[in-house]
Amino acid sequence: MREIVFAGSGGQGVLTVGLIISDIAATEGLNVTWVPSYGSAMRGGTANCTVKYCAENYIYNPSQEQPDLLLAMNEPSLHMFLPMVAPGGTVLVGDTVTIPADARQDVTYVHVNCTEIATSLGNPKGANVVMTGAIVKLMGDFSREAAIAAMNHMFEKKGKAKFNESNAKAFDAGYNAVECLSDASCVR
Amino acid sequence: MAEMMKGNEAIAEAAVRAGARFYAGYPITPSSEIMEYLSWRMEEVGGSFVQAESELAGINMVIGASACGVRALTASSGPGISLKQEGISTLCDEGLPAVVITQVRYGNGLGTLFTAQCDYNRETRGGGQGDYRCIVLCPSSVQEFVDLMAPAYELSEKYRIVVIMMGEGTLGQMMEPVTLPDFVETKRTPWALTGKYDYKKIGIFERDSRKEAVELREKYDAIKENEQRWFDEGIEDADYVFVAYGVPGRATLGAIRELRAEGEKVGLIRPITAWPFPEKAFAKINPACKGVITVEENATGQLVDDAALFIKKTHKDRNIPAYALTYVYNTPPIRSIKADYFRIKNGEVKEVY
Repeated sequence: MREIVFAGSGGQGVLTVGLIISDIAATEGLNVTWVPSYGSAMRGGTANCTVKYCAENYIYNPSQEQPDLLLAMNEPSLHMFLPMVAPGGTVLVGDTVTIPADARQDVTYVHVNCTEIATSLGNPKGANVVMTGAIVKLMGDFSREAAIAAMNHMFEKKGKAKFNESNAKAFDAGYNAVECLSDASCVR
Repeated sequence: MAEMMKGNEAIAEAAVRAGARFYAGYPITPSSEIMEYLSWRMEEVGGSFVQAESELAGINMVIGASACGVRALTASSGPGISLKQEGISTLCDEGLPAVVITQVRYGNGLGTLFTAQCDYNRETRGGGQGDYRCIVLCPSSVQEFVDLMAPAYELSEKYRIVVIMMGEGTLGQMMEPVTLPDFVETKRTPWALTGKYDYKKIGIFERDSRKEAVELREKYDAIKENEQRWFDEGIEDADYVFVAYGVPGRATLGAIRELRAEGEKVGLIRPITAWPFPEKAFAKINPACKGVITVEENATGQLVDDAALFIKKTHKDRNIPAYALTYVYNTPPIRSIKADYFRIKNGEVKEVY
């Protein structure tokens, strides 16, 4: 089973990244759950959601336990969720996040300047989609093509098909910005 | 492929497909998306939707709709369900069917927004004034919630009783792949008001509560005999049997399967009806069982009272201890359930009963 926690401040699109990843997993026919933080926690503070997916087994516990990957789009999110990450797990951070010198060393830190990349593509709101591409590559569970197709389908259902081309570009930029870290894929 | 759906939206659509054609209620986190969805969806299917001025007004409108033979629904959480109790008691008194959804959140008074199971006692003991019970269904996934909506209405009409769908914040807010059931063809209940004076008026002082009590006891006895629902696994040879419902119930299933793989003889009873409580499952438990363990999202332990009552009743010759693992709010991680199991096994946790 895979567990990913997506965290940032409200408006950075972390819940949407989680939705895209969960939709990719559902499209591949996997068992999958998406659980958001909700209510007052969404106003100004950190927003987060947890996605779990698994090819074989039922997802027994959909809630946060021990993520294999943490996406931290701001520093409060990093500090809140870093202790929870599985030993040997991956921590993906955005432009504004600095990893403290004394941060735990049993996880792999990956830095992607997602806002800078998205802005250079003329799509400054696409930073979260850049991170989606990076996460798909890092996890190594889904092919690039299947992921983009599922992402586009998800936005089509929301009536946002006009963003498919720019979303695919942002996805690719993130996908190409990192190396796959996963040697034991859940899916393939 | 099953579509990813948000719990509350899938539940609302399932209610429509189960024949609900009237909704009245007042929004509250974490159940609000149910009424948000129905605010546009009811009109599409020829039903009625009212955003009431209060929870009390909402449940009173449900009384009216039900009396007119329409499958009626309201939803809320924590303090909102407290406000509806007078109306729920009236529905039960009048023998009017209705479904009430609660997405439980933690805390006393206004409480918090955290997912929890702190309202078990209120839902399973009637909740309002008087001498009645509601049938309480407690699904553990969005799919199970959706699949239980049509049975909920069938039960409420069969016994002319209120059915409480006792969810949790997580079940309303999470997304899972969901397969929606087909639409149910419903008929107006045969006893419904017609707009004419078909019924004899019975004043409060003309009622024979002793005669009604006989009928009430027969109804509740029939429900207890016929409507217990549960899932169980590994209880016939278990040294320890977990009892947990809802999302903690599914997490506990993960825990017992891991513990079994590690050689521990553990089992699970996951109630699907919290009332009637699945007493029949307890009769199947290994006679040499060393204890039952509840896993609960509350502080004081509520489910443990029922688990203890029925393990002592079904295993009278031995005083099998009942333990409670209370995690206050949020679904406990599987590794916490496992660690606490070993504390119980090692004698580090005192039994509740």
